[in-house]
Amino acid sequence: MSALAVRARALSKAYDGRIAVDGVDFDVRAGECFGFLGPNGAGKTTTMKMIYGLAAIGAGTLEVLGRDVARQRRAVKARLGVVPQDDNLDRELTVRENLVVQASYFGLTGREAETGARAALSFAGLQDRAGARIQELSGGMRRRLLIARALVNRPELVVLDEPTTGLDPQARRSAWATLERLRAQGVTLLLTTHYMEEAARLCDRLVIMDFGRIVAEGSPAELTARYRQPHLEAVFLHLTGHGLDGDGRARIEALGGPS
Amino acid sequence: MIPLPSLSAAMRVWRRDLRVFSKIWRGALLPLFFDPLFYLVALGFGLGTYLATINGVPYREFIAPGLCGSAVMWAASFEVAWNAYFKMEESRLYDSVLATPVEVEDLVLGEVLWAGTRAVIYGTTFLVVIMLFGLVQSWWAIAMPPFLLLGGLCFATIGLAYTSLIPKMDYFTFYFTLFITPMFLFGGIFFPYDRLPDWAQVVAWFTPLYHLVAIARDLATSPDALTVTANAGWLAAVTLVAFAVPVRAMRRRLVA
Repeated sequence: MSALAVRARALSKAYDGRIAVDGVDFDVRAGECFGFLGPNGAGKTTTMKMIYGLAAIGAGTLEVLGRDVARQRRAVKARLGVVPQDDNLDRELTVRENLVVQASYFGLTGREAETGARAALSFAGLQDRAGARIQELSGGMRRRLLIARALVNRPELVVLDEPTTGLDPQARRSAWATLERLRAQGVTLLLTTHYMEEAARLCDRLVIMDFGRIVAEGSPAELTARYRQPHLEAVFLHLTGHGLDGDGRARIEALGGPS
Repeated sequence: MIPLPSLSAAMRVWRRDLRVFSKIWRGALLPLFFDPLFYLVALGFGLGTYLATINGVPYREFIAPGLCGSAVMWAASFEVAWNAYFKMEESRLYDSVLATPVEVEDLVLGEVLWAGTRAVIYGTTFLVVIMLFGLVQSWWAIAMPPFLLLGGLCFATIGLAYTSLIPKMDYFTFYFTLFITPMFLFGGIFFPYDRLPDWAQVVAWFTPLYHLVAIARDLATSPDALTVTANAGWLAAVTLVAFAVPVRAMRRRLVA
């Protein structure tokens, strides 16, 4: 059995009494791409934020790369790369400077930081835009730069929160290719997405979350087989489509989902 | 108690700010260097020609060291107001920093150190200007930059505390109109405190600019070690006590 990159037990989080994550258990094996699917507000981003330290753990335990996040957050973060949902690149700096400064936050300086930045730029196919300002980049390039920024410290685990949201199909496929190369290098990937095609293509295993709870877990093939659905989107709607009106139900049925 | 910040992590934040400053200071920030100079020319060399000496010191020499203190106050306050708020709430840059080994307390220390650095750059530049104008009587004035840094750290900590607590940018109007501007006008730069009513002197004592101006004027004229130490101690104590406020507030805001 592979070593675990992430181990969550009874993990919970509430904001002002509203439960965001409700006692979830999951394991992520080292080297796999693990997905979190769910409608908006299902608790995916909160779970991710607890992993990379932007949300305090409410209750339960969370171990990342063998360390307790609640006690050793700084040490955990040193081994992670994070691609956030929103573009929070540094607009005062160029593309290359964004990476060099990011490397410096991990304690890399001088030649080490420059080398890391160059490698990440090359990996993301942005070496030609090293001197460009952020405002000059297209949406797709910014996404690739966010991925590159997450790689400057050579992380063992990369957390990607909706990494391709808002991208056109070409840019999305380009980002997928980048992530597939990363996975091929043995880096563990944690991914939230709204795109079923993305989850089916990239994820070895995934969980579907709803109302802060995990309602299904398995590989895309296992889930479609278990719920007798033609594809992952139908599984997703079958498990989380409770709020849909009659038209929505009809669309699920048209997809081959439950009647 | 808040966790002790890591100085090396804080310096990473400081270096990012220095890098940005080195790129934009000519265009965006150069005008701020002229602010105290205009006050000196208008009030010191303009109004000052109609005024007698204050406590035996010509008016322009009386206000010049105090303007070093105000340069520090404005520079530090601007840095931790809109700039910090923008990074916290608009560009969400702080989120990206906090997803690295940098923790909230390191981030706050880095920003305070940078605002203090920027403040000492402005304050020291103005000190050189007033020395060139011959408005400094004592060579002790060259010992002023560390105290300007201390003042900058104090203003930065107080300003960042305010920034970390307000719900939106509009609230800076209150900070600058009701706190910074009155300090500038009544903090002892333009007239001596002892001419103020008793209650106003008490209020002034509780403001950081009072102590920074007192140090600057002391060093520029005839320094008294005990007074300088007491005023510096006041600034250091307030900085240390206030430091916990932005750490706690930002932790609640960014890592809740």
